[in-house]
Amino acid sequence: MAVDSLYSPPSGAPDPDLQMGLELMAHQRRAQLIRLLKTAAVWTVLVGLMTAFLLQLKFDPAYIFQHYQIVLEGVPVTIGVSLVSILFATILALFGALGRLSNNSIAQGVSSLYVSVIRGTPLLIQIYVIYLGLPQIGQQLVAAGYPTLGNMFTLSALQSGILALSLNYGAYMTEIFRAGIQSIAYGQREAAVSIGMTPWQTLRRIILPQAVRIIIPDIGNQFIAMQKDSALVSIMGIWEITYRANRFARKDTKFMEMFLLAAALYWILTIISSWLENRLERRLAHAYER
Amino acid sequence: MNDDTALIRVDKLHKWFGMLHVLKGVSFSVQPKEVLVLIGRSGSGKSTLLRCINFLEEPSAGTITVGGVSVTMAPGQRLDHRKALAIRLQTGMVFQEFNLFPHMTALGNVIEGLVTVRKMPRDQAIALGEKYLEKVGLLDKRDVHPIRLSGGQKQRVAIARALAMEPKVMLFDEPTSALDPELIGEVLDVMKQLALEGTTMIVVTHEMGFASDVADRIIYMDQGEIVEEGTPEQIFSSPKDERTQTFLKPLLRLQHL
Repeated sequence: MAVDSLYSPPSGAPDPDLQMGLELMAHQRRAQLIRLLKTAAVWTVLVGLMTAFLLQLKFDPAYIFQHYQIVLEGVPVTIGVSLVSILFATILALFGALGRLSNNSIAQGVSSLYVSVIRGTPLLIQIYVIYLGLPQIGQQLVAAGYPTLGNMFTLSALQSGILALSLNYGAYMTEIFRAGIQSIAYGQREAAVSIGMTPWQTLRRIILPQAVRIIIPDIGNQFIAMQKDSALVSIMGIWEITYRANRFARKDTKFMEMFLLAAALYWILTIISSWLENRLERRLAHAYER
Repeated sequence: MNDDTALIRVDKLHKWFGMLHVLKGVSFSVQPKEVLVLIGRSGSGKSTLLRCINFLEEPSAGTITVGGVSVTMAPGQRLDHRKALAIRLQTGMVFQEFNLFPHMTALGNVIEGLVTVRKMPRDQAIALGEKYLEKVGLLDKRDVHPIRLSGGQKQRVAIARALAMEPKVMLFDEPTSALDPELIGEVLDVMKQLALEGTTMIVVTHEMGFASDVADRIIYMDQGEIVEEGTPEQIFSSPKDERTQTFLKPLLRLQHL
């Protein structure tokens, strides 16, 4: 067929001004590096000043070095709780978003009430309701002659924590998913429908893969925020970072030492998560790069 | 025209957008292997008519028959989605804005319907997909994502995607209107080739040169009605209706420049 591409492959002859372009790029890279070094210098000075200040006030770094192991052992618990919760929250959010976008009034009602109630109440209250409130209902059910059902209402601290975090973040992420799905151009739906796809196939094969790429940074942000909000589950005595720090700080009245250590651990977690999220984002962008 | 052999029949089709009466009882039919070109001003209803045929727009009233599947709509009546799907499977659609799936390669776009809708085994779908990419001259772009294709190449992949489903009729909705002028030719060449091979086609376009070269029949629409219908010679050389004459006069002068 007499149809040829307008793009010609790059020809062999080198660009006579190539040197200029290379120099320009090297210059830009150098400027970027200098900016990075300057920021690092400012950080170092600030942290140094604060450390010096604390050391003047009988801050005891040796205590941290003797006891960091105990708090460090809470890191896997914090990561575990956050990972499982973000997974459940993502699933909840997907269904929440589908409900909000659906024409079915029951689905829409259920998901809009869920989002409204959860976003309208503090996470701490939600934890209390699940951990302390539900067993009270459960006992009444047991008394009323439904022992299996009643016992299901009595959740362990870990189960309560994961449930509360999942429900809470699921509600916020419902809005993220909804916006992501709505941001996909209508033409994509039409193209899918025109080759005979059902609404479900269109969602699964065309809309969601594109929407997920758009909302990955937001999900990453939620995960990073959740790692810190998971500190709230320490009130139920789950042995994660905050609970361990608190417990030992109380014993030896070394609050500043232990809580700064906990803070540092959360900070490092956040930096690592941001870096991972960045990499994932770049991998998903592959199809969209020229 | 003998209606019994028609592949597509549209009967008294009405479409309302709110209070806007966009299609006012349009009727026509298309024979197998026929190329029908719809022309008319923006807002004349020609794109809406095309989109009603595969139910991207839900007709307000009237009957649409494609390859023996017939759907009759009336106000207050719900669309039978199974029948609409059966009709969609017999029609291939090419959009003005291409609407390629950006997260899939060129080949991925072409085989998507085969794998997901037709449940064809993957290797078989790939073989068929490559055949249709070759047909539009883009086999060398099989693993390239749409963002790295020119507009003309995108539209040719979109044509291959529609062809791969082996529909009985191809619908083209202003396929070259979003393209830079120098890219229009490659898309029109592919469409001409399809016409020569006997593909049944309905084309909405502003390319009058293409219409006069390729069309078996031309319909001129204005304000939701078919004003005039005839062979390219009849429409372009001796249009009967005054509205057709005023529409074509400046366009034809441009073509001769």
